[in-house]
Formats: sequence, C-alpha cells, structure tokens
Amino acid sequence: MIGYICKYAPVEVFASMGVEMKRIEPNVTNFNQAEMKMHPNICSFAKGVLEELTRTDYEGVILTTCCDSIRRLYDVLKEEFPDKFIYMLDTPRITKEAGTALYEQRIRAMIRAYEAFSGKTFEEGRFGAYLQEKQKEQRRREEKVQKKGAASIGILGARANESIREILEKEGAYVAFDLTCTGLERKLLYDEKEVLPEYTRGLLSQFPCMRMEQAANRDELIRRYADSVDGIIYHTVQFCDNYAYEYAWLRSWLGRPLLLLETDYTRQSYGQILTRIQAFLESLETKKKKPQIRLEGKTAMYVMGIDSGSTSTNAVIMDGDRKIKAFSVVRTGAKSGVSAQRALEEVLRKASLTRADISWIVSTGYGRVSIPFADENVTEISCHGKGAHYFNPKIRTILDIGGQDSKGIKLNEAGEVKDFVMNDKCAAGTGRFLEMIARTLEVSLDELGAIALTSKEKIEITSMCSVFAESEVISLIANNREKADIARGVCNAIANKAFGLLRRVGMEPEFMMTGGVAKNPGVVRAVEEKIGASLYICEEPEIVGATGAALYALEQISA
Amino acid sequence: MWIADKYIDYVKEQTQEKPGETWDKMLLGFKANKLRMKLLPKKGLAKGYQKLEAMMMSFVADSLGRPDSYVWGNIFSPCEIMHSIGLSTLSIECLSCYFSGYHLEDYFIDYAQNTGIAPTLCSYHKTFVGAIDSGAVPVPEYAVTTSLSCDGNLNTFRYLEKKKGVPFTFLDVPYGDDEASVDYLAAQLRSFAEELAGRFGKTFREEELREVLRIENETREELLKFLRLQSERYYPGEMISHLYMMMGTHLLMGTKEFLELVRFMNEDIKTYPKLEGKKIFWVHLLPFYQETLQKYLNCNPDYQIIASDIIIDSMEKLDPEHPFHALAKKIIRNLYNGSYSHKADMVANLADMLKPGAVIQFCHWGCKQSSGGSLLLKERMQEMGIPMLILDGDGIDRRNSHDGQIKTRLEAFLEMLDSDQSVRKIS
Repeated sequence: MIGYICKYAPVEVFASMGVEMKRIEPNVTNFNQAEMKMHPNICSFAKGVLEELTRTDYEGVILTTCCDSIRRLYDVLKEEFPDKFIYMLDTPRITKEAGTALYEQRIRAMIRAYEAFSGKTFEEGRFGAYLQEKQKEQRRREEKVQKKGAASIGILGARANESIREILEKEGAYVAFDLTCTGLERKLLYDEKEVLPEYTRGLLSQFPCMRMEQAANRDELIRRYADSVDGIIYHTVQFCDNYAYEYAWLRSWLGRPLLLLETDYTRQSYGQILTRIQAFLESLETKKKKPQIRLEGKTAMYVMGIDSGSTSTNAVIMDGDRKIKAFSVVRTGAKSGVSAQRALEEVLRKASLTRADISWIVSTGYGRVSIPFADENVTEISCHGKGAHYFNPKIRTILDIGGQDSKGIKLNEAGEVKDFVMNDKCAAGTGRFLEMIARTLEVSLDELGAIALTSKEKIEITSMCSVFAESEVISLIANNREKADIARGVCNAIANKAFGLLRRVGMEPEFMMTGGVAKNPGVVRAVEEKIGASLYICEEPEIVGATGAALYALEQISA
Repeated sequence: MWIADKYIDYVKEQTQEKPGETWDKMLLGFKANKLRMKLLPKKGLAKGYQKLEAMMMSFVADSLGRPDSYVWGNIFSPCEIMHSIGLSTLSIECLSCYFSGYHLEDYFIDYAQNTGIAPTLCSYHKTFVGAIDSGAVPVPEYAVTTSLSCDGNLNTFRYLEKKKGVPFTFLDVPYGDDEASVDYLAAQLRSFAEELAGRFGKTFREEELREVLRIENETREELLKFLRLQSERYYPGEMISHLYMMMGTHLLMGTKEFLELVRFMNEDIKTYPKLEGKKIFWVHLLPFYQETLQKYLNCNPDYQIIASDIIIDSMEKLDPEHPFHALAKKIIRNLYNGSYSHKADMVANLADMLKPGAVIQFCHWGCKQSSGGSLLLKERMQEMGIPMLILDGDGIDRRNSHDGQIKTRLEAFLEMLDSDQSVRKIS
C-alpha cells in the first residue's frame, strides 16, 4: 500500500500496476513523534502524516512539492524510513504547456524509480485501460441527489478531514461540494494516442489549489459554486497559512454566509468543530419554522434555558410573556452535569416552581450535551444572539468573553446571527487568562478590574501568548511596577484581542458585552477605549446565553 | 535603525490614526537617516559595516523616493534582470524591516490578521500585507516573485495584486536540479525580462545582463575572500549588519558599487586584529532588535558571527554567455531550494571552509521551510563535531520572541562552548 496526500499525485499510475493507493487521513491524538523530528510550528497535517506513517505499515508515500511543510516532511520521512519508497514528485505551479511537459517527465522518472524499487513494471496499455474503466465509474457516481429541505453547504480551503463532512451529514446538511485539497473527484483525461501526456494534462487542469499560479481562476469558479449553496465552510489547517489569504479575500466580496473553521487534525478538536458547525447551520436555518410543542391543559407556562459554560452554569426561567421569572448562576465544578443540576434546583427554588412546571428546557454552552434534563440543545452562539436582542434590540455586535473562549457575534435587526468568529485554541484574551494574572498579582478577580481603573501609568503587555504574558507580568512585578498599572496593561491586552475579533466580524454599532468578563470594569473600559464606543452591559451579563436558550424554548411552545 | 525617537513615535501614532496620510513623513525619516549614516556613522562598528549600512539606507530611501524606478520583489528575485534595464528591486522582506524602524510592525501585523490573514504566517509577510492593505504605503507599477523559498511569496503577491492592483510575474522554481528544470526556469526568466522592459518602456539588452553577471562573479569571489578573513579577524559588526549584507548580496548583486564596497571591506578588515573569540555561523534570519542577542553578538570580540547562510546562499559561478540559464541554475541550486539535505550539504561546505566553533539556527515564527529541517541540520552539524543551538523567536515581531527564554538558552549554550574550550586547554 502506498500513501498519497495531494490531488496532483498520479495515483492511477500506481493503481494500474496493482498497487493499493490510500489517501492519508491522519486522525491522531498527539504529535509526539513529529515535534521530536520536525518543529512544533509545522502544519498540523504534515505532523499528522508523520505520526500516521510511524503507526501504519505503508510500502511508501508519494509526496508532491505542494508546500513548505510537506517539503520538510519529505526530508524527515526520507531519513526515518530509508527502506520505504518515499518519493518527492516535483509538481510545477504553472499549468501551461511547459508545466505539463515538465510534469510528464517527472512522472516518468517516478515510474522508473518505482519499477527499480518494487520490481513491478508499468505498461502504458494497461494504464490506458484502467483509466477508461475509472472514467466509466465516475460517470455513474455523478448522479447524486440532494435531500429536500436540507441546508446545502460547500467546503472550501485547505484539506478538510472526514469529520467535517460527517458532522454536516449528521446534522442533516447536504454537502454540495468539497473543493479542498483532496475533496474533489479527480479529473481523468484519456487519449489513446497520448495516454500519459493527456493524463498529466488532466491532473494539472483540476480545480487549481492555492499553490498553483493560475489560482486566480479560482475566484470565478468559487463564485459559481458559491451561488449554488446556502453557506460555505472555509477550512484551514493550523500552521497552514496559504488559505487564510483566500479567506481574507473572499470575505471582502463573496457575499455568502462563510464560516472559517480551523482544525489541527487531532481527535481533540472534534468538540470545537462541532459547536462552530452547529452554530453556523443554526444561523442559516433561522428562517425555517421549527415544529411546535402543544401545551396540554396547563394554565401558566414556563420554560427554561440553561447555559453550561466552563466557569459558570447559568439557568433562566421565563414565562409565556417573555418575562424572566428567576435566574441562577453557579460555578461549574469538575462535572458539568452536577453543576447543571445545582443550577436547576436553585432557579426552581427562586421561582417557587417545580420541574413539572417547566414545559421545555433548552441547554446551551460547552456542556450542553451533558445535561440529561434538557429537551434539546442549541449552541451558545445562537443563544447569545437571541439573548442580546432580548435585552437590547439595538445591539448588532456582541463581544462575549467567557472562561475559556471569546467570541465576536454579528446580528441583524431581527437578532439573528449573521456571522461569528471565535478565538483559537489559546487562552489569551479569555477569562482564564485574567484569572491567571490575578493569581500572579495576588489580587482577586474583582479587585483586578477595580484597581486597573486607578492606574496612573501606561504599561504595555506585548506578549500574545498567555504563558509569555504571565512571565512578562512576573518581570514587571520584579521591577517594582505598580499593581494597578500592570492590571491596566493586562486589561488593555485583552481589549486588543477583543478588538481583533470584533474587527473580523465587522464593527457595527451598537455594541454589547456578555459573559463573566463583562463584570470587570477594567476590561470594559479598555475595550470601550479601543473601539471608541460604549458597551451595553446588562445587569447580569452571565445569563445572556441562558436567556437566549429560554427564548428558543419559548419558540417551541404554542399556547 | 536610528531615527529620532520622538519622530518615530509621532509617525507611528499618526499612521495608526490615518494610514495613507503619513507616507511623506515616513519617507522623510528614511532620507534623514540616510544623511545621518553618512555624517555620523555608528561608533564601534567596523568601517566596512558603516559604509554598508549607509549604502542600504541610501538604496531604500532613493528607490522609494522615485516610485517609477523600482519593482517589488522577494529576496530571491533575479535583481540582475532589473539592474540590466536600470531598475531596482525592493524586497518585501527588507521593506518590512524598514517599516519596523517606526515600530509599526505590530500595527501592520494586527491589521493583516484582523482582515483574516493567518496569525501563524511569517511576520515579514504579515507586516508587508498590513502596510499595503492599510493604505499606509504606496504601491509600485510592477512586482516579481519566485516560488523560492517559501509558500508566502506567491500568496502575498497574488493577494496584493487582487487587493491593490499590482501586477506581478511569478517565477516557478522547480525542486529538482536537472536540465529540464533549468530550461523551464530559463524560459520564464527570458519572458520576464521582456515583459518588464516593455512595462517600463525600456529595451532589454542581453549584453547588459551579461555585464551584470560578470560583476556578480567577481563580487562573489571577493565576498568569499571576505568571509574567510572575517573568520580570522575581529571585525565588529551588529546583527543588523548581517541583514544589510544579505540585502547587498540579493538586491545589489551585480552592481559596481556593491563590488567596490566588498573590495573595500577586504582591504579594511586586514587592519583589524586577530579574532580570539568564538566563531559563530548563523543560520537563517537575525532578530536584530533582540536585547540578549544584541548584548552578546553586537561588536563583541568574544563572540563573532563570521557568516550566515542568508548571505551566501548561492555559490554558483555564472556563465555570462548563457545569462538566463546561468540565472536559472543559480536560483535552482540555491541553498534554500530542493531537499533539506541539499541545504545541509551547503552549510557543511561553508563550515568546512570557515571552521566555525558553533552554529546557531534561528527559527523565525511562521517559517516552515526553515524550522521544519532544523533538527536534521543539527544532526548533521553534530556529525561534524560542531555544536548547534536552535532558537525560536520572531525576526520582526517583538511580541513573538520571549527574551527570558532566548537568554537562558543562549547563555547555557555559550557556557557550554566556553567549558568545552577549557577542557581542550587542559587536555
């Protein structure tokens, strides 16, 4: 079995020689080998391939000169597996005749190298027959049918692993196209007089990837594809920077719902991907009417929203007139299910109600799937949107800074989510970061915000990484700088991160801040200074998500 | 890079407030700095490095002052072709460094990232994209980039072509070093020369390119002589001096003035004392602003950077009779092209020639092509008995380099080198 990773790899050449060809799809839990042999900042896919190769017995791998990380992957594989057929196929970036001619020569050289390695022989006639057979198969497969009513989604960007497709299908969406590295069905050209040259031409004339010179044509092709779907997921791989350029470019003109999704090819990223995809699908489906639940003989009607976040679990009970009857905020312990139970009990007690009085419960937040008493779950992004609109219908942009993540959410006048961005796998700019720094400064979290307001001197915390920032704070303490000034510096660092998120989502006033960090006056002031506008903050900023969840619950009920 | 601090702060503030309205002020600062370098050279710096710095200041300030005289390139663009028709090349990497003279890199980087450019991208490219995209810096008529040595090149130039309408030629550098590759690239270079001349209303004459290549061959000979001398004599330089040298060997290669300068340096260095300190061979970019590295490596007789791979990444003697093929070979055989073992071989050859006591590789944030092979190079150097240190940081964005970490690693490494020597002395 020979592995490959790129759509420009001539897999049919090997297949016609009876070799089993496998597209390498790493699904790993760590990068231990890769970080030892390469460098942590190499693209996660390349690191994943190295891990995969150490675990699975491949006869060899065909790599292409597709990017810097893969070039270095080749160097490492070559050294690690001297007895395997590790081949670097030099793939031109120019697809005109000169490029095609060069590529054909390269492929022929590769065939000779493999013949020498394996003792097998390549026959052009057999290859031609194989191609014709493949072409027939392709035609048969092209008759796909879209499910009625399902949101149709296209996937663009860097190689997307299977889990994205799986999640989409599980959530009932239809994947209309996948134009990522190896997603698209390959284009096979056959000409009996010129079998290999024509085949090579076909390979290079596939939908161009970002490393190709003529990728400029992508714009027109993407425009046409994009018009046919409800939304587009733009996928990038951590430490693969090539596609972010296109994302930045597309969002300036494409005018279609676009979700930027970054993954790192580890199993751990599944939860994060799930939340983002679900929220995206929810934002596309806002106009579709959901099935409603009938009340059976109840006079008063109550619903509940519960938001299970990393720091706090918050519950809101709402009556049929959209009035908040009671709410509770409890710290999330080690088990989100237990905290949810506590939040439930407390809010019921405050409202003087019992569980039986609640007609429908919607859960949201990171722990939303682990709440056994919830009737359904909705992502916190949609819930924050709805909640914010409830508290103040003028809000168009929300900054939500929670314990472990921060988000920018853009709303339309009806309070529907139009776009959102989230921070990456990084604690910088989150509540956790503030907690860490408060501990280092030996003040409570509440004090941190208060003392920042008394600062007289401006200190800049420059490190972008929270671990580095903490060391920076430690050295500031060592230099006898005032706590108040350091605290303000930290608030400004968070405000800078937040500003980045808001700019990415679009800065439309009015602004609201939600989440636990909205209670910190130091951060609030710093953000307001940075964006040059005031932030609307409701009385209890931690319950905005739960309120949104309660509103979702209310929509399920018809009196 | 010195410009009066207050002026720097003023330009920085104004640019952040109104990008697009401060270019004249930025340019004025570059021009002032050029004059200052001529009138008041840095004390303690070897004369050759003073002249080099002044030359690079003039080169950038003069080019930027005449927008129709230059094209944007990357550092590996064939500047020889531009010279042959009287144009200069301003590489985006160097321009980013110059913008950082106003401490604007963080603003530009944030600007690019907030538009959606990947935070993990090379900071030189992010700085440049932010500078242009924010409108702070005007754009030229034309640009050129090679695919060598990183993915960022094509993508950055294509992005700016779409957003700011700067057309460019893309030179696809094949990975393999064979005749087919050379023909393929040579044909691209030839049509680029014609395209460029046409766009600027000039005529391309092959003889002029031949002359540039002859000067280049001579310069390279002189340069190798200089590097040998620098591994024997204490010739005080700063980290940034090596970056200026890289600018010279990439953007001014083939010009008479640069040849004259290297000749001068070869004479000048002979007047300096024997080098008694440690000889360090530097791999990849130099974070010229980094405090600890400055402390140990700027004008310090105990530790001298004797050469860097970024200065002498090509050893190719060019055949002026076949100028395009010669340039194609030069680019394809560049140290940064092809497999990492090719790079390791070239570094090993340089080490054989210059006999460094240690190698330091700086893994610049976002540079996959360099960082990804650092461990392979370390193995190779160890086989040769040369200790090697790998440092992680950022060549331009101060926020990505942590001084504490770099300090601990560097000092431990230097202690290790010093103790090695004492062992040798005892035995």
